[in-house]
Amino acid sequence: MESQIELLYEDIPGKSNARLIRFVGDLDATNVETVLEKVCTLFSEGFINLIADFKKLRYVNSTGLGILLHFSKSAKEKGGSFKIANVNENVYEIIEIIGATALLEIYDELDEAVAALR
Amino acid sequence: MQSKELHIEINEVSGTQNAVIINFSGELCSLCISKISDTFDKIDFNFTSNKFVIAEMSEVTMISSAALGEFMGGRKRLIEKGGELVFAGLNIELRTKLNLMGANKVFRFYNDQRSAISAYKWEYEKHPEHLHLSFPPYLKLVPPIRSLVSRVARQKGYGNRDAFRIETIIDEVCNNAIEHGLEGQNNKIDMKVTIDPGKIEFVVTSISDPEKMYALRALLKPEEDATKWRTDDKRGRGLDLIKMLSNELSVECNEAGTSVHVKKLREE
Repeated sequence: MESQIELLYEDIPGKSNARLIRFVGDLDATNVETVLEKVCTLFSEGFINLIADFKKLRYVNSTGLGILLHFSKSAKEKGGSFKIANVNENVYEIIEIIGATALLEIYDELDEAVAALR
Repeated sequence: MQSKELHIEINEVSGTQNAVIINFSGELCSLCISKISDTFDKIDFNFTSNKFVIAEMSEVTMISSAALGEFMGGRKRLIEKGGELVFAGLNIELRTKLNLMGANKVFRFYNDQRSAISAYKWEYEKHPEHLHLSFPPYLKLVPPIRSLVSRVARQKGYGNRDAFRIETIIDEVCNNAIEHGLEGQNNKIDMKVTIDPGKIEFVVTSISDPEKMYALRALLKPEEDATKWRTDDKRGRGLDLIKMLSNELSVECNEAGTSVHVKKLREE
């Protein structure tokens, strides 16, 4: 049984090349390919500024983190950004203890991430 | 209407240091409180050390408030000596009645003797619990397995943070076993979990794939700075994560199989 993850998209007013993605569920090795495909589709559609809302992301493992780093790198290569907001305590700890906080743009609140969009 | 006569029998629980079962049967009416009181006197007199007393109530049909008062007094005496009194096997009707009387705020209720003894062994004798799982190397099986072990840890009193870390460790160990092991449903992964109030240990054994051994050995080599990820690391760094979340990690790797042993101390 794959872990359940849902990606819900929303427009960000005034930012035509930006999208808000709300992650709901667990991000792990069983569903990372599906998530990769969906986010790459957004990039290919021209959404180069992505904000990931992790308020309802319960769990992430090293494979999931690897894919987040990949999104960050891809967005930068396209002249955009991949920002993360509302990370829960447990998920943040996983990101932090392996030193990925320096490589990802993480914001406490969604509003801060939106305000930081170029 | 004549009440069902109360019978009381005291038995020590074999295989335990200090657990005693008092088997009650019949009605615990207000006329029999002296019998209950005498029983606690006997325990007090015969057993000098701290006792964990299980009141076995599956054959009890009625409990009066006066009888409950005697149990409260008996518990107080046991607590003063470092012991405890719990109820096991109460039927639904009696359990509801005791709840309404507020007894659930004082006493612990267990569904049966076995659960009560198990709780005693866990809490007082610090006996570890064991879990043994064997499963084919399929990624889709990892989420329910990590979730199961995490739930067991929570049920055993581990906090959310510890349970989450345990879930992550199990996830990473299993994913590595699948990635570097032989494919196919007959090449099962074996997981032994031992949990006690202070720590949890896992031993995960998988059948190595000779063609993937070089990759596994490369992973096991210490890096200059294992804590730093690179943005081109699309693949996760599970082993590093396990190292940082656990207190001990050892990996035995040979042509026959790979065995990963992880120890994690309880922190909360």
